[in-house]
Amino acid sequence: MSPIEALYIFDENNTPLLEHTYAGRPPSGSTLLPLYLAHPKPRPSLVYLPNTNPPTLLYSVIQDQLLLLCPTSSDTEPLQVLEFLHRVTDALEDFLGGPLLASKIESHYDVIAQLLGEMVDGGLVSTTEPNALRDVVDAPSTIKSLLAGVGLPSSTPSSSSSNSPFALGGGRGASPRMGGMGGNIGVGGIGGGGTTSTVPWRRANVRHTSNEMYVDIVETLHVTLSPSGRPLAALANGMIAFTAKVSGVPDLLLQLGCPGGISNAVSLPTFHPCVRLNRWRDHPGELSFVPPDGRFTLAGYEVDLLGPAALDAFSTTTPANAAPKLNIPATVSVQTSLGPTGSDFEVRLQLNPRFKGKAPSPLPSSTGSSFSGRGGLGKGLGGAAFGGAATTGTTAAPAMDGMVIHVPVPSSVKTVVDLKVPRGSGEAVFQATESRIRWAINSREIAILMSNDRGTGAGMLTTLRGTVVGHDGDEDEHGDTSLGLSSNTYDYDDDQTGAYQSPSAHASSVPAAAKEGKGGDTVKRNKVLMPSCATISFTVKGWLPSGIKVEALTLDQRRSKGLGAGVQPYKGVKYLCVSRKGVETRC
Amino acid sequence: MHPSNYAHWSLTTARDLTLEAARDAANVRSSKTSTKMLPSGQLKKLLDSRSERDVLEGLRRVVTMSYRQPPSQTLPFFSHVIKNIASPSLQVKKLVYIYLLQHAEHEPDTALLSINTIQRSLTDQNPQLRALALRVMSGIRVPVISQIVSLGIKRGAGDMSPYVRRAAALAIPKCYQLDPNTEPQLLDYLSTLLADKQFFVAGAAVAAFLEMCPNRLDLIHPHYRSLVRKLSDMDEWGQLATLRLMVKYGRKCFPRRTRKIRKPVNNGTSAKQKSTKGFYDEESDSEESEEPEYEEVAVLDSDLELLLNACKPLLQSRNSAVVIAVARTYLYLGTPTYMSLAIGPLISLLRASGDIQHVALYNIVQVCLMYPQSFVNHYIHFLVRSIDAPHIWQLKIELLTLIFPHAPPRLQSLILAELSHFSHSGSLDPGLVKEAVRAIGRCSQTTDPKTSARCLRLLLAHIGSADSHLVAESLEVIRHLIQRDPDNHRTTVVRLAKHLDAATSAQARASIIWLVGEFSGLDPENNIAADVLRILVKGFADEAEPAKLHIVLLAAKVYLHHLNANPPPDQPKPAEQPQPSPSVLDDFHEEGGFRDEHVQNQNQPPAEPVAPQEKPHTVVALWNYILLLSRYDTSYDLRDRVRVYRSLLSSSTSTQLANLLLLAPKPVPQAPSPSETRKGYVLGSASLVIGDEGGVGGLRGYEDIPPWVKEGQEPDPSLREESASAAASSYEVNRAVSAAERLDAAAGGDVRSASPASPNGVGPSGVPKKESKSLDQWLEEESEEGETDSEEEETDDEEESEYETDSEEEGEADRLVK
Repeated sequence: MSPIEALYIFDENNTPLLEHTYAGRPPSGSTLLPLYLAHPKPRPSLVYLPNTNPPTLLYSVIQDQLLLLCPTSSDTEPLQVLEFLHRVTDALEDFLGGPLLASKIESHYDVIAQLLGEMVDGGLVSTTEPNALRDVVDAPSTIKSLLAGVGLPSSTPSSSSSNSPFALGGGRGASPRMGGMGGNIGVGGIGGGGTTSTVPWRRANVRHTSNEMYVDIVETLHVTLSPSGRPLAALANGMIAFTAKVSGVPDLLLQLGCPGGISNAVSLPTFHPCVRLNRWRDHPGELSFVPPDGRFTLAGYEVDLLGPAALDAFSTTTPANAAPKLNIPATVSVQTSLGPTGSDFEVRLQLNPRFKGKAPSPLPSSTGSSFSGRGGLGKGLGGAAFGGAATTGTTAAPAMDGMVIHVPVPSSVKTVVDLKVPRGSGEAVFQATESRIRWAINSREIAILMSNDRGTGAGMLTTLRGTVVGHDGDEDEHGDTSLGLSSNTYDYDDDQTGAYQSPSAHASSVPAAAKEGKGGDTVKRNKVLMPSCATISFTVKGWLPSGIKVEALTLDQRRSKGLGAGVQPYKGVKYLCVSRKGVETRC
Repeated sequence: MHPSNYAHWSLTTARDLTLEAARDAANVRSSKTSTKMLPSGQLKKLLDSRSERDVLEGLRRVVTMSYRQPPSQTLPFFSHVIKNIASPSLQVKKLVYIYLLQHAEHEPDTALLSINTIQRSLTDQNPQLRALALRVMSGIRVPVISQIVSLGIKRGAGDMSPYVRRAAALAIPKCYQLDPNTEPQLLDYLSTLLADKQFFVAGAAVAAFLEMCPNRLDLIHPHYRSLVRKLSDMDEWGQLATLRLMVKYGRKCFPRRTRKIRKPVNNGTSAKQKSTKGFYDEESDSEESEEPEYEEVAVLDSDLELLLNACKPLLQSRNSAVVIAVARTYLYLGTPTYMSLAIGPLISLLRASGDIQHVALYNIVQVCLMYPQSFVNHYIHFLVRSIDAPHIWQLKIELLTLIFPHAPPRLQSLILAELSHFSHSGSLDPGLVKEAVRAIGRCSQTTDPKTSARCLRLLLAHIGSADSHLVAESLEVIRHLIQRDPDNHRTTVVRLAKHLDAATSAQARASIIWLVGEFSGLDPENNIAADVLRILVKGFADEAEPAKLHIVLLAAKVYLHHLNANPPPDQPKPAEQPQPSPSVLDDFHEEGGFRDEHVQNQNQPPAEPVAPQEKPHTVVALWNYILLLSRYDTSYDLRDRVRVYRSLLSSSTSTQLANLLLLAPKPVPQAPSPSETRKGYVLGSASLVIGDEGGVGGLRGYEDIPPWVKEGQEPDPSLREESASAAASSYEVNRAVSAAERLDAAAGGDVRSASPASPNGVGPSGVPKKESKSLDQWLEEESEEGETDSEEEETDDEEESEYETDSEEEGEADRLVK
């Protein structure tokens, strides 16, 4: 019945790194791995293996190329196990530093053994908060690992303070004075449990020489555009990552603001347990919390960039340009079945001039002032309180980076010839193994593109052309030049209400099909080889699609504890917009 | 993790990863040297060393070895390692314990030697060590010590540190597994721990309860209310365990009472509006159907309502499993009103990483099967993206079809456009094409004839495609549609026949021909089957084999119908040739879709009335012609079949057997939503994800939700009355005021604290009164030092009311006087 029976970790070459059994007698990792690998990719996170003894449910998570497997022999809640595996990776990352690498695990088995022992007890998950774990397990500090390399003992010699529970708290900042205090408490046997703090997610006795707090708001774009360019769906998934390096027990208040009101923008939020939910409910946009020490995810949310009325745009009466306005840094469109045989296609990338940034462009580009439409976004942050904005890509002049366009093509395409960028720049290659075209434009090229387009302001356009060749590509090209585009329309206004049962309503479509059947045979065949979508990946620093910004981050001096009077922690805010193949245009 | 997850946690790009890897590779060399295997002799020397540092180093190496090699390699060190168990160093102890847990089973006798020392650690001053000792002792799988373990648990359950108490709770099932005879004592401890004031102790106790004796619900009664109250402050795993328990408890202890109430008219209309607009309206008190005048309203027990309300804040948990658990509670215990609260949070799980998204989608589909209406507004999350993995888009497409019948017309168009896009986007895999076409078929099962006509039109448009998967799947779905309702699809068959020209793939042609044949008996006065046959026969030689097979079958069916219609006796006049109606045929000619010139030219001869010469009827002639053609075909399969048909139909008088074989009514195919098969499984279970693959009735350990207890058989509600004294209950009231509040109070009675009952405030720990004195002493000292770390202690202090405390000194003085 135990939810967690064992944990196996494998590295990127599937060599076993670690096997830890918690309860029962699960099949060993070496028997499970081949069965897991036998599943075709992409492998689901939950696999049922009826042929092991006992029949096993195998959960898997892949993190930084490490594969974590967790077998259970009975029905459990799948998400419980998966969440646990994610917590394991979080904890390991917290202790060993990310990214997780095989070598890190190999050199810290003793720490990992303690961690795994604390996290699960007899198959039941017990402690997973990184802060709580820090209270009971020594983290290998960087110094420690340095020392370990030389063969010196690194942790504070525990024998000297074994009677003081706080000395367990970690190698960090165990000042003599604290030791003394700890001794006192130890005698009294602090009710709270001595080693664990009262705030379950915050470790006891946090000390930092420099007090700092950072807010990183990251929004991931998920935009789907119809062939006509009309947005079908546009979501931004936001995450507020918080890094607290503040002594004592600070009580913080983070105020978020948004042009249209925060409650209109943010939907379906989720919170770290430290956030006081009532405060958010009564004052949307205000997050009041006592943070854990270190980096953590404070909240997650999503923003529907189209708004609730998006669906209304899909009517016949609304003209295309009345579609909801969507403001994203780049869009792409694909034209297929071009050329005499319909085997050519063209990808156009349209860049939004606002995201010019102050990148090191050869030509002096104008700064944010000329684009004041949104330039004011988050200006308050540039003020004294938030000095630490990013060096490149500020809120006043957000900069785009890492632009990559992927155009997946059907697997029946043998190759793509004549791949060239007639306009604009960038490097395009056809990756046969993944059946896709990758077109990368680096930030310098973007900057050049942007600066070329001074006057028009319509946004920069760059195009890519190519010709697909199928596996049975040598057709007799009895050149019929009818472009098969007509049959390719993607009709969102399909509101014809003609009575189907009367044959006449349908009559019109048949001749068209017949004509195509005769003339555009090659076109039709090539149509199957055409790409059906294109995706853009990029990052924009200093800009959020939702327009959310941090209004203020204040430390409630009265409610906070342990921070010296008058100490004003350093505060930093960063905004980042990411698209991981998130902007997708269909064709 | 929840949305906010760690996929983009550190935003590590591939470059960072490689940099790091490179740096680490350099490290590996150095660390490899340090963790390089030592010869066992040297290792033993290290372990036997007097220097703690050496021992630690030796233990590290042994632990490392134990992870990399089979136990046989590390077993030789057993006694050397165990020797260090009495070491004063906590570091050393921890590593010894780890070793012991891994190896005790292999050397039970030597392991027993260590028990004494471990037992001594149970009384150590350091709570962490006590907990550790308890954990190790219960974890050693040596049955002999069960009594000792049980004693240890007893001591642990009464420990003043919650950390130890939790370890005691978690040790209970382990002890039970060692020796089931200890059950009575263990139950005793367990019920103490269930009553624990500390959130994470109670959570662990519930988990232990579920592990050991999930059916002893009688133990839960007295703790029910306090557990429910603690729910929102427990850690995630405790919440999960408690919710699992509560669903069971709720079903077994609260009978489903419903009341029929006359629905006020205005209320009814408002409910109707709501059903179209907002699903988040909480104030709607009408839960059930908006049917006429009376409605059944579930009457919730106040205790049950307590639970359902306590779950609300959990919906914003970052742990996806908790969200699902709440949804399950609402689904099986609550009313639709509660369920609607959980819809949004369920959707928010889709922000999570792929693995969680996948499992979450199964659960969403499960809820959607019951409440499709609620998901309509979230359609945007179900649109398929090109980067979705197959197992994700499958479920997304299913969701789209599930909400389709309930969607407003515009959304319906959108969904259909989506599906048709994916049905002819070849660049994604063929599976997606297939699934999209099937989904269109499911959409067409709506009641609205216009919509289903539109779906059919979409499908028909696919027939001419060059993508054979698409064509085959479209025809399959069309066939299902026609078979389900043949009478209304007469023209569809005609239309399909027209598409014979466009259809190039043999499979597609074969399916169309089969369909024509299948419906050749329908409406004999007006059927096109014979005509189709006539035209097909001309090109018979050029057809591919699958098509030929079906042409022959078509011919056999047409001939059989002919025989049935015109029994041989009245041979002379073969009544009326089953001519298609003029209207249908005219269309046919105009469009010229079906006939090519070649056919056109020879159009007349077969239709020509050749009766004068006592020639056989056209159908008979066609039949004979086909027999002749196929007799010399190269395919023996075809020849065989023809032989069968010929002998079947040889005697024109007895057609019964042929009727049975050829014209048997086909069962109407059903195309339910793919997840219908999993509908029976409990939300959030692994069986739901695996489906019937895991065996009928779910996987091992799968438990169905118990049925509602019958009215009158439920346990007495007074059992749930908190048995504790008035003092205790007043204490409970104080506690309910919550941790955050107390923290506020401790921090200086901030009036601004907007939330007196912050549900997930900072959890204080329960401290027996005695300690607070010593704490206070410490506090005092501390405040002299000007340190301000005293917060936790203050909040721990239960005695303190939360109004107290403007100045700590005052409080302290007070107590000192005491």
